[in-house]
Amino acid sequence: MTLEAPGIARAARPGQFVMLQVHDGRDPLLRRPMSVCRVPGAARRRVQILYKVVGEGTRLLSRQRVGGRLAALGPLGYGFRQPARRRGAAQAQVLLVAGGVGIAIFPFLADALHRRGVRPVLLYGARTARDLVALEMFRSRGLAVRLATEDGSRGARGFVTALLDPLLRGDGPRPEIYACGPTSMLRAVGALAVQTGTPCQLALESQMPCGIGVCLGCVVACPGDAAGPVYRRVCTEGPVFEAKTVRV
Amino acid sequence: MKNPVMAASGTFGYGTEFDSYLDLSEIGGFVTKGLSLRPRRGNAPPRTCETACGMLNAIGLANVGVEAFLEEKLPALRDKDTKVVANVFGESQDEYVAVARRLNGARGLHAIELNLSCPNTERGGMAFGTSPPVIREVVQAVRRAAPDLPLIVKLTPNITDIAEAARAARDGGADILSLVNTFLGMAIDLESRRPVLDNVVGGLSGPAIKPLALYMVHRVFKEVDLPIIGMGGISTTKDALEFMVAGSTAVQIGTANFVEPAAPIIVARGVRDWCRERGVAAVRDVIGTLRLPQGPERGAVAG
Repeated sequence: MTLEAPGIARAARPGQFVMLQVHDGRDPLLRRPMSVCRVPGAARRRVQILYKVVGEGTRLLSRQRVGGRLAALGPLGYGFRQPARRRGAAQAQVLLVAGGVGIAIFPFLADALHRRGVRPVLLYGARTARDLVALEMFRSRGLAVRLATEDGSRGARGFVTALLDPLLRGDGPRPEIYACGPTSMLRAVGALAVQTGTPCQLALESQMPCGIGVCLGCVVACPGDAAGPVYRRVCTEGPVFEAKTVRV
Repeated sequence: MKNPVMAASGTFGYGTEFDSYLDLSEIGGFVTKGLSLRPRRGNAPPRTCETACGMLNAIGLANVGVEAFLEEKLPALRDKDTKVVANVFGESQDEYVAVARRLNGARGLHAIELNLSCPNTERGGMAFGTSPPVIREVVQAVRRAAPDLPLIVKLTPNITDIAEAARAARDGGADILSLVNTFLGMAIDLESRRPVLDNVVGGLSGPAIKPLALYMVHRVFKEVDLPIIGMGGISTTKDALEFMVAGSTAVQIGTANFVEPAAPIIVARGVRDWCRERGVAAVRDVIGTLRLPQGPERGAVAG
């Protein structure tokens, strides 16, 4: 879906999101957090979002017509930290790890990396071949794409972490990981990264009523102290976190 | 207050979070996130769950604590031309008193709102607000601890007869009543057969509770002679005016702030415009103007 939203388009950075109204009614009541998927064109007037119909909110969103009006708040949150430039050394390999609808956050990042001359590898897992989207878009930006499906209908059979694991085991320079997907995937990716000392940013999803840091509903547990974990807001302190700083 | 529309506790942070969405000086006032003596981290997630026309929350009263509020939050609010109300809670009467005492006399603070929905850990975890004698006692104690600030008492709806709670608050020395807080509820994930909220139970808010809250305002207005701040599912001008007709002197917008951060201003302007269009000279002329049917007393539910 493409939104005409110049203010958001100009300000947005990869990894940020918008809170999007899905209809005029009250049921469902809340706006939906949506990753900024792309800001196409040099004029930066439009924002694209990519969503999958999974519930009532996204079903209503899918019934919006061209020319309709929806309220959108954004861009919100902190986006991805761009990969470190290493003076005199080769650029670290950049790995984008996507699971399911988590893919939606990466086209914008891939565009930004492409402009910097960074050629990431995309590791992309989904349930079946039919759930894999936007592959051509990534290939056209020079990304190497490696796929995994749970039913083996395309790419490796199994989870995307099976593609990631061997890339972190070698003796070579550490890659940098950018991951977005279901919680179980982020947990596994984060654990692998921490084990192997690999820099890793996780873009989290959460039940997010407000998106602006006041409802305190979207928190993620983070390492705390003897009194227990501390909680950080995914909306305003994320949605991107360094893997070692969160317990997803 | 310059208008009767406020933002409700727990939906408006400490005020300044909304600086980029609305001009605080355009709303009547706002109520801070509930303040305890020490900072609280709150409950483990999931803390919220969307439900039909509403949402459940079990945040666990996470807040910065009264000291940080006074040092870091309140100074930024002093040059805002709006009424700042500090919501206060405790797990014991002593904690309520200690927080209230700390707030008494704070420059830039206009009132205290007492949150009685907090579990009383000294009495088996029952919420303070579910027992009229306990309400009276804690209100009295806070009244003494903060004699210089108007005392608003926020009632929980999770009680058989809210009028009894209202009378107890009045007898304890409340200046104003605000009602209602959220209704206890839960959500279940059928696939896993687990509660959706880590806390199991949460507070229901949003348009789903509006008729319940409206009735409670109506009931308390008839029974207790104190100003009422009405709330519970208000998201439009029409909702706000209905609460005023039922007897609210002012209203608070809560969950609607999550959907539309400018909601309090939109409603405040809407109320003003409605009065102009109807030739209502002052918005207070709307308060308690419900026209009840003539004849025998209604109220019993015959089904």
